[in-house]
Amino acid sequence: MTIRGEAPGRGSPAQATDSLADLLGRIAARDAAAFSTLYKATSAKLYGVVARILPRGDAAADALQEAYVRIWEKAGEFDPAKGSPLAWMATIARNRALDEVRRVRPGSLEDLPESFEPAADEVDPLAARERSEGLVKLLNCLQALDEEKRAVVLLAYYRGLSREALALRFGRPVPTIKTWLHRSLAQLRDCLAS
Amino acid sequence: MTVTPDDDFAAAEYALGTLDPSERAVMAARRLREPDLDEAIRAWEARLAPLAEAAGPIEPPRDLLPAIEARIRSATPEAPGNAAVASLRRSVTRWRAAAIAASIIAGVLAVGFIAREATREAVPHEYVAVLQKDAASPAFAITVNLDTREFTVRPVAATAPPGKAYELWLIDPKIGAPRSLGVIAADSATRRANLTQYDRAVVEDATYAVTVEPPGGSPTGQPSGPPVFVGKLIPVGP
Repeated sequence: MTIRGEAPGRGSPAQATDSLADLLGRIAARDAAAFSTLYKATSAKLYGVVARILPRGDAAADALQEAYVRIWEKAGEFDPAKGSPLAWMATIARNRALDEVRRVRPGSLEDLPESFEPAADEVDPLAARERSEGLVKLLNCLQALDEEKRAVVLLAYYRGLSREALALRFGRPVPTIKTWLHRSLAQLRDCLAS
Repeated sequence: MTVTPDDDFAAAEYALGTLDPSERAVMAARRLREPDLDEAIRAWEARLAPLAEAAGPIEPPRDLLPAIEARIRSATPEAPGNAAVASLRRSVTRWRAAAIAASIIAGVLAVGFIAREATREAVPHEYVAVLQKDAASPAFAITVNLDTREFTVRPVAATAPPGKAYELWLIDPKIGAPRSLGVIAADSATRRANLTQYDRAVVEDATYAVTVEPPGGSPTGQPSGPPVFVGKLIPVGP
């Protein structure tokens, strides 16, 4: 673990113990080094979320870029009481991907500005076990759904499939899929609240 | 703090992503004006967000970070702190997204098809399971990539019993006796590819079980005792 040279006038140097929440706090104070660290620690995870929804690599890369710009802008709004930092970031990234996939044509291409040297140090806040409890609870609730209904929810979540695509895939009319979704989501809500 | 049941379902489907483009655009616009609805959407996003953690990581293109850093540099004023402007800019972005989405009626089906075809190679067929004693005590989460037959086991709340090790087993009637997948760490992720020798049907249907063994694993090649944690896979796509 290397410790980066201190950014003048900005907080503390990065350390192995940096949690994602700490990084978000520093990013809210406009700490660019913290942002770079956060990106390196989480980008493969978030790309894993958007690339499953957006099959075209350029669209997925655009969505990821938009998501991180948003994370930079909104870091101050992160509330640890409402979920893990990774869950918060993944929601932002996934919403970008969904906005994109629910359009027919790809958005306007951003001009890519010239690059500059990224900070060179390795921090992996994901190594901290801060993420698992919510997932375990949700998976338990999902296990209680019928297999087909569970698959509908998971395909919608991970692949961004629409009701129409789900109807086709499961050989059911769209209203049936809608009914399934509503029942499954209600069941999940009640299970998670219990 | 309350929304109608219909709106709550719409919020749920917005968060899940299954609304069609025009419905999505309507919700995106409404949530800007209706704090209760916005709150309902956020609650659903929070309920579903843990799923993202189970999605396996995929390395993004290498040149993205510099591009993003350049963008946030140019977007950050020299004297930071004009929250009102930042907030306005965000609103404009959201309105623009809503307007664009509203102006288009969907080729969602086609998009869905293309998505499936194009990602078949790039995105792994993944399954996940939680290995647990009972619903209240999960110990490990396992992710299986059906394409490569690789699995990754991550400890959730496992602590190795002193002087002992955890060993992972594959149990399925199709293969007879339990087969060892090796000793797994209780304090870090373990990744292996030794599911390659099993059929897809076995990997998909099997029960994954963990036993407590001497350090280095069971000396007999069979479990020394009953499983302490078990679980079955559920698909996460495609």
